[in-house]
Amino acid sequence: MKRLALYILLELFTSQLYATEYAVVINKNIESLHLGQIKAFFLKKTSYLGNEPIVPINLSSRNLIRISFEKKVLHMSFTRLKSYWTKQHYLGHRPPISMKSQASVKAFIENVDGAIGYMELKKVDGDLKIVYKWSD
Amino acid sequence: MLKKMLIVLVLVSALFGEEYQEDSGYNLGEGAQIGTLPIYIGGYFSVDYKYKDSKSRYRIDDLAFLAYGNYNKLSYMAEFEFKELYTFSEETSGFATKQDTSLHVERLYADYNFNENYMLRGGKYNSQVGFWNLLPINVLRDTTSNPISTYIIFPKFTTGLYASYTSYSEGDLKIDIMLQHNNDIDPSYNNYIIDEYYALGITYSKDAFEVKLNLGMFDNYMQNNTTQNLYYILASMKYEIEKLQVMSEVGTQSATDGFTTEYAGYLQAVYHLSEKHAAILRLESYDDKFNDTQDDIAIFGYTYRPLYPVALKAEYQFHSISLQNQFLFSFSVLF
Repeated sequence: MKRLALYILLELFTSQLYATEYAVVINKNIESLHLGQIKAFFLKKTSYLGNEPIVPINLSSRNLIRISFEKKVLHMSFTRLKSYWTKQHYLGHRPPISMKSQASVKAFIENVDGAIGYMELKKVDGDLKIVYKWSD
Repeated sequence: MLKKMLIVLVLVSALFGEEYQEDSGYNLGEGAQIGTLPIYIGGYFSVDYKYKDSKSRYRIDDLAFLAYGNYNKLSYMAEFEFKELYTFSEETSGFATKQDTSLHVERLYADYNFNENYMLRGGKYNSQVGFWNLLPINVLRDTTSNPISTYIIFPKFTTGLYASYTSYSEGDLKIDIMLQHNNDIDPSYNNYIIDEYYALGITYSKDAFEVKLNLGMFDNYMQNNTTQNLYYILASMKYEIEKLQVMSEVGTQSATDGFTTEYAGYLQAVYHLSEKHAAILRLESYDDKFNDTQDDIAIFGYTYRPLYPVALKAEYQFHSISLQNQFLFSFSVLF
């Protein structure tokens, strides 16, 4: 019994140890955001924070970080998002633009006021502001 | 006629297959941009078949074109549609055909987004009432038919102003105000002929739940050239998770001298058997005093979407007025 308890504790510890951490990051000129606003920007329910335009950036559609972001932050699967964006086309809204690499997302956010994206936590440096964190 | 419809169906399915999408980089159902201009174009069409009381009807129902875009805080939407472009009806005594080549203005509006909370719209738009009326086209709805309550209680379209306030927090709160004090841009394309319409809506959504309440008043032009003030209230709810969506709308409409529709509503469940297949059950009931009709309806539907913007739908409706029992099938595409 002791062995089993020890094994479970060890499993829990190692799964936490090796869980990849991610962050939603923004240009330093933006004030803090809460989760409801992050979802609203990536689903294009709004494109403004106060009077400032916000530019959400996705990674490409099969990217594992994007899949994790959609599941853990937006709480939507790939299929459900496909249907969501088809409906948005009828309503006159476009999905966020996509970039192929975290490096491109980082460079874009650093240089464009109002840009918001996500990446692995270890890739974030002092040029970006973290507004939300999650892990797999 | 059926053969022609099948040929169209096969050709369009082949054209818009997944290989085509991946090779061309075009995503079906998301439109296309004109160069680098802020103009996106797209459209949709649907064909349907109905069998009721030993009569068959084949129809090219919708063929519509969209253009939209945005520039800074301004955005626009234009939608033009051929409605019931071609109808072929067949019964034991013979057949009849009908063509309507008039192009209708379905939506034509401009939006101005003041900030993340406030938006103002001017033009003709889908009345922001309930959930069904926001996405009313065949390919985006779950069944070929529309619930009765979505076209007898309130005007489907408004030509005038629309203002909204939205607060994004742990739950989203939205307040809608609609005002019309002029003629419809295209009065032949609305379920009521109106020149005055005032309405209010409040929506609250949190996680998988969304609830909404709409109140409104409008002038209805009658056939004898008189007008009638009509008042309505509609309550709606939606619950949506990965596999299941449950949606309901219940409303009532009255004139100054009493109910015109005592009640009308539906409860619909959509269960996604897989990514491409869905089973639908809808229960409807209404009591329309104006037309002196009361009916209870159970609808069993099945939808196959080879790709999300392509829908093949079949449904059977059981009515308490048994002559109204019917089978419907449709094929629709958003492009």
